[in-house]
Amino acid sequence: MMDILNQLLGGFATAATPVNLLWALAGCALGTAIGVLPGLGPAVTVAMLLPITGQVEPTASMIFFAGIYYGAMYGGSTTSILLNTPGETGTMVTALEGFKMAKSGRAGAALATSAIGSFVAGTFATVLVTLFAPFLAEFAVTLGPPEYFCLMLLAFTTVSAVLGQSTLRGLTALFAGLAMGLVGIDQITGQVRYTGGVMEFMDGVEVVLVAVGLFAVSEALYNALYEGRSVTSMNRMNRAHMTRTEWRRSWPAWLRGTAIGFPFGTIPAGGSEIPTFLSYATERKLAAPEYQKEFGTTGAIEGVAGPEAANNSAVTATLVPLLTLGIPTSVTAAILLNALQNYGINAGPQLFQTSSALVWALIASLYIGNVMLLVLNLPLVGLWVKLLKIPKAPLYAGILIFATVGVYGMRQSSFDLFLMYGLALLGVAMRRFDFPVAPVIVGLILGPLAEAQFRNAMSIGQGSWMVFVERPLSATLLVVIALVLITPRVLAWHRRA
Amino acid sequence: MGLAALAVAGLLAWGAAAIPSDAGYAGVGPDFLPWVVCVAMAICGALLVWEAVTGGYRDMEEPSGAPRGDWHAMAWVSAGVLGNAALITTIGFILSCALCYVLAVRGLRISEGKAGGGLMQVVRDVVTGMLIAAPTYWLFTKVLAVSLPGLTATGWI
Repeated sequence: MMDILNQLLGGFATAATPVNLLWALAGCALGTAIGVLPGLGPAVTVAMLLPITGQVEPTASMIFFAGIYYGAMYGGSTTSILLNTPGETGTMVTALEGFKMAKSGRAGAALATSAIGSFVAGTFATVLVTLFAPFLAEFAVTLGPPEYFCLMLLAFTTVSAVLGQSTLRGLTALFAGLAMGLVGIDQITGQVRYTGGVMEFMDGVEVVLVAVGLFAVSEALYNALYEGRSVTSMNRMNRAHMTRTEWRRSWPAWLRGTAIGFPFGTIPAGGSEIPTFLSYATERKLAAPEYQKEFGTTGAIEGVAGPEAANNSAVTATLVPLLTLGIPTSVTAAILLNALQNYGINAGPQLFQTSSALVWALIASLYIGNVMLLVLNLPLVGLWVKLLKIPKAPLYAGILIFATVGVYGMRQSSFDLFLMYGLALLGVAMRRFDFPVAPVIVGLILGPLAEAQFRNAMSIGQGSWMVFVERPLSATLLVVIALVLITPRVLAWHRRA
Repeated sequence: MGLAALAVAGLLAWGAAAIPSDAGYAGVGPDFLPWVVCVAMAICGALLVWEAVTGGYRDMEEPSGAPRGDWHAMAWVSAGVLGNAALITTIGFILSCALCYVLAVRGLRISEGKAGGGLMQVVRDVVTGMLIAAPTYWLFTKVLAVSLPGLTATGWI
């Protein structure tokens, strides 16, 4: 316990140097801005900024990236409340009640409860990360390749089969990502696969390229194709402020949201959709009778406070599997993993030993970042709202320029820019036919890692498949995967019968 | 989409066949996962085609936006991205990106139902594009030492 406290203090010492504070502030401000603006999410922004890993030292850039990741969550709720166009899946639920609140003239209260709720949840969740991550890391050292492979398999299953509308389309997206991950040189034998003789494919398909193509460029194309005439109406802003009753109604929702969000972020079950919806349902059920009728009509403050807290808590908790197991459970976490790989740092149980200074500075910066974001988002919220006045055409055209920097700056190859366009077309088609995009990225990043773990596991078992069943932990994980796949079907079948 | 998935599966099979299955201790070689992905892709593709033929995809969420695509606007934006890809090494980052901006902003404006704009608008777009591209270029090349192509060797354009 004392040990953790000492290391955390050491982390604060690193994170609170003027340079690192500046990086944190830059990250938080940029994150809030891109969270507010449509068309750019935290994943793409971090992806586009990955070239800076060549120049900036690891701790500073991880603090910067974490600030962006966090800031985008704060900024995203502002857009949800004022415009009803949630930029992030996690803020979808916020839009349900928040937009209605804003419509009936309570935009300020909705913005305040979401910013303060995010702060409360973010801080609590960071405390939990501080306490649990080191223990989990110690435990994770005992895991072998079979367990790792099963964990990754679980991540694949949940991200593709459970989230989203259709298991089939989710799986198709996942295998598309896995297929992209196959391109290049095989890690174990050095065998060249699927390059088709193209030199550029030797190093594999860059994650940045796929993320920028599938998200940013495809968003621009989709807007030109389909969204040109969609009109969005903006709600009137007023001062971010809550009455005494609103405080009293908000704080239990914040705490419940935090409690619901955290466990979902730590397990490789991907995304913040489930916890935010769960929190919404809980608040709706628990609300006092006189407030219950506000849900879905004039907007209930609990319906904003709970899901916002759940979202931030889940987002913070994704750092636990990322730092201790090296398993990303969201797209942005996957890109952060990629950033670490760029530095030659392998995220995993050893991270707490080999790069403990970096890890603790990162955790300390989360505490600092939360305070910064509260300041950036409460008194200064009017500033960010001005960003919403930028017309769409120059905004998306400008995004294309930044996309070029990110993709070209990675490998200095114009071939990548053509590939980016191809992926953007794929992204447009996927969006039109309701295919989820996240499984592609997760498959692409985790695929090669999972393959390596799988083949190492098979080597341990000397070519026998029994290795996955004989070890108690990996067998348990396999059972969990089976349950995750079967339960929803049984429930659906049961409901129909 | 289903047919595309089937095509990818075919491509994967063709490629997988070319990978030697030198397995070593593990009993599975570098060609194992490619075959798994290939078979899975084929199954998914077949199921997608089946769904599409028998009454469309299941549990579809209504896509947002207009029912028909504005291909004219799309062509302008595409021209911007592809032109940028083709020209970036010859005319340099700033000019190429400004061109991309001009073409894309025109396309997006057309999609909004406004006129593409006359000569004055184009000039204004060129200036805006340069104003975004140039500082970005300087920031990334000078401060962050990311190498981006220039028209001249001076490092300023």
